[in-house]
Amino acid sequence: MRNSPESPAVSALDWRVLAQAARDAVNACDFNRVRFWLQLFFFALMVYGGFAGIDLGLSLPTFACGYNQTGRPGVCYLLPLQHQLALPPRVLFGFAGIGVLTGFVVFFLWFIALNKGWCGFVCPLGAIQDWITALRRRLGVRFSRYSQKSFETLSWIKYVLLALMIVIPLGIGAGYFSHDMSAPFCMICPGRLIIPAFTFDFRQFVIDFSTPTKIVMTVLGAMTTGLFFVGSFIKKRFWCFFCPMSAFHYLLSKPAAFRLIKDGDKCTRCGDCYSVCDLQIKEIADDVNEPQIMMEDCIMCLKCVAACPETGALKAKFAGLTIFESTEAGFMKRMQKGAAP
Amino acid sequence: MKDEIELAKRATPITASAPSATVVSRSEELSPYSRSKQAREAERVLNRIIDDFDDNPQAMQYFYDLFRRVHCRGESIAAEGPRIGTTCIQAPEELIYAMGATPVRLCNGSYHYDQIGAEFMPAKSCSLVKATLGMLTSDNPVPRVGKLDLVVNPTTCDQKKKASAMIEEMGHPVFNLELPNVKESEASRLYWRRSVRQFAEELRGVTGRKLTRKNLKAALARTQRAERAFRAMDGFRRASPSVLLGKDAFLVVNAYFFDDLDRWCEAVETLNGELGERLEKAVRAVQKKAPRIVFTGSPPIFPNLKLPLLIERAGGVVVSDETCSANRMLYDMTAVDEWLVNDMVDSLADKYLKPCTCPIFTKNEDRQRRLLELVRNFSADGVVYQAFAGCQVYEMEQRSVARTLNEQGIPMLYVETDYSPDDEGQLSTRVEAFLESIKTRKRMRT
Repeated sequence: MRNSPESPAVSALDWRVLAQAARDAVNACDFNRVRFWLQLFFFALMVYGGFAGIDLGLSLPTFACGYNQTGRPGVCYLLPLQHQLALPPRVLFGFAGIGVLTGFVVFFLWFIALNKGWCGFVCPLGAIQDWITALRRRLGVRFSRYSQKSFETLSWIKYVLLALMIVIPLGIGAGYFSHDMSAPFCMICPGRLIIPAFTFDFRQFVIDFSTPTKIVMTVLGAMTTGLFFVGSFIKKRFWCFFCPMSAFHYLLSKPAAFRLIKDGDKCTRCGDCYSVCDLQIKEIADDVNEPQIMMEDCIMCLKCVAACPETGALKAKFAGLTIFESTEAGFMKRMQKGAAP
Repeated sequence: MKDEIELAKRATPITASAPSATVVSRSEELSPYSRSKQAREAERVLNRIIDDFDDNPQAMQYFYDLFRRVHCRGESIAAEGPRIGTTCIQAPEELIYAMGATPVRLCNGSYHYDQIGAEFMPAKSCSLVKATLGMLTSDNPVPRVGKLDLVVNPTTCDQKKKASAMIEEMGHPVFNLELPNVKESEASRLYWRRSVRQFAEELRGVTGRKLTRKNLKAALARTQRAERAFRAMDGFRRASPSVLLGKDAFLVVNAYFFDDLDRWCEAVETLNGELGERLEKAVRAVQKKAPRIVFTGSPPIFPNLKLPLLIERAGGVVVSDETCSANRMLYDMTAVDEWLVNDMVDSLADKYLKPCTCPIFTKNEDRQRRLLELVRNFSADGVVYQAFAGCQVYEMEQRSVARTLNEQGIPMLYVETDYSPDDEGQLSTRVEAFLESIKTRKRMRT
């Protein structure tokens, strides 16, 4: 018993040392590799999870495409949302509204857990783009960037798509538009063609000639899919820049649990984070006043954190707890390429 | 002059071998150069750096010897491939190394050359530019780096800009590396990236080599080793009480101007090893209560280490600096996303422009933030701001920097000086008074 006052102190110290060692190991990890495997895991889950009997519901905040009927582990929320909004107004604003609201709340809860981390780590369409990028890199082809001006202009497209995605179904419900336009965003989303194809389901690769509206929608879908492949070969994360899900996420991101935090005092504005950013977000390097640095186009891939040489300048926090932060040592380890000693 | 050339031929070049442990003797009078006024200027400063302080780190001997050989004896410094002189830190040396050439920073700290430069430069120009031009106009100048195949002149301050034509008249081929004077805008980033590409083209013409993924990656690894070594050394300076004095740190980074890159890295790594041991054994270089100073402003370059030496001889310690002859030159590191030539060059370009806190840019917020961060990080008690008389941009920024620091309760000493030793007595009184006031403040607080 005489030892007892001492031993808790010792074990507490051990625990702290261990925790620090664990944090150091995480911060010094080969981040791109870790992220690659995480993305692969989530890709398998989001595309083939259904085969394992996983069912995560109809409100997933990522492209677990509903058209992938056998493999999906749940459904991308945008599909049910558009169907629900196309209900006749009397139904939508009546008792069915409760179901719609519940769906939204579940979506919201899923979303705030990971914030845009859904885009950077979970989204299968995002992973495919990163793999196309890796292919391009292997071929030694350089990527291109938007000029600052086009960046600012194009940045609006995702909000336009989001608005259309809500207005058109409401219009269908109210009888202004034909039902042939139902789930209008899904019709032009490249995911509708690409993701089912991973389970050898090519039924979406058709032009529907039954009505003029369907011809237009399916042709648009085929075009965006083509654009998706060409675009993401040239530009990193080409599609994410236009994704209405990304816009939707951003509008809801205020209370999110997962956050990207910047300590502007520690920033030297060296621009390392900007030069690795797939979405070419300038603020990550230039803004030294705003601690909540997740911008509208951010996909929370955390590459900026991994590329920051200033200890503690960038942090990924989950519910207030730092889970990954920039460190000098981690930076040096990750950037040590070529004939280093 | 003829003797000097003769000597350069005879003197054995310093080869890229491991840092030698042998102490270069002081008395050995080798040559007419080492008896010259210029050599004596260097000798006097070097002896002070060594003798005025007890217990210098043993690994510093490499640097003391290096400066004795190069500056006091005028030995030549061997280098492979073409020699590319740079007049500011913004010239991306990775590109130079990648194409098999060797950069040498021409910024000079010698009063001797300052006086030579004063013969043809306006009276109100700064000592650094005068000394650099004074050196470039001399035959076989010291450090003896050999014939320059190209002088890269980033278009920074007005004096350096206008120096370009004068350097050309002296017979050196000059490349003006176009640096924007606003750094926040996207236009400036693109402009600068283009400038850096043009520089790479120019180098290709000089060296006859092509920039490839392989050689650039290897060059990045080499300079990154230097940056790592520098950051490790910098890290030791956070310790309180200090284990390394500022005068030694300045000397180490000054050596980077002309020393062989790999040999320099090795020497700094050795020094870091020793500093680690010192930290463990709690060997300290200064008194426990020595005022900790962050040095900012015009760069101290050997032999003009006047002000840092005055601070440390008066019992203070320079724990960090924000100058282009030390911290600003080696602190920032490059991150590359895709290791292809284009992405590497763009990333490099960004590193040389975006974090730069040179006062030639329109705004100086980054410099103020950097100073505050250094004061915090290195637990400094005050800031000493050196402005060379005639360096308008540093003189102009003085007020805003002082205001920011004062708002945070950080005392600052502003010193306008030049390379001449005449004001040393007066300066030492001011420095002592400043350090004394810091000590009093510290006492009051405790």
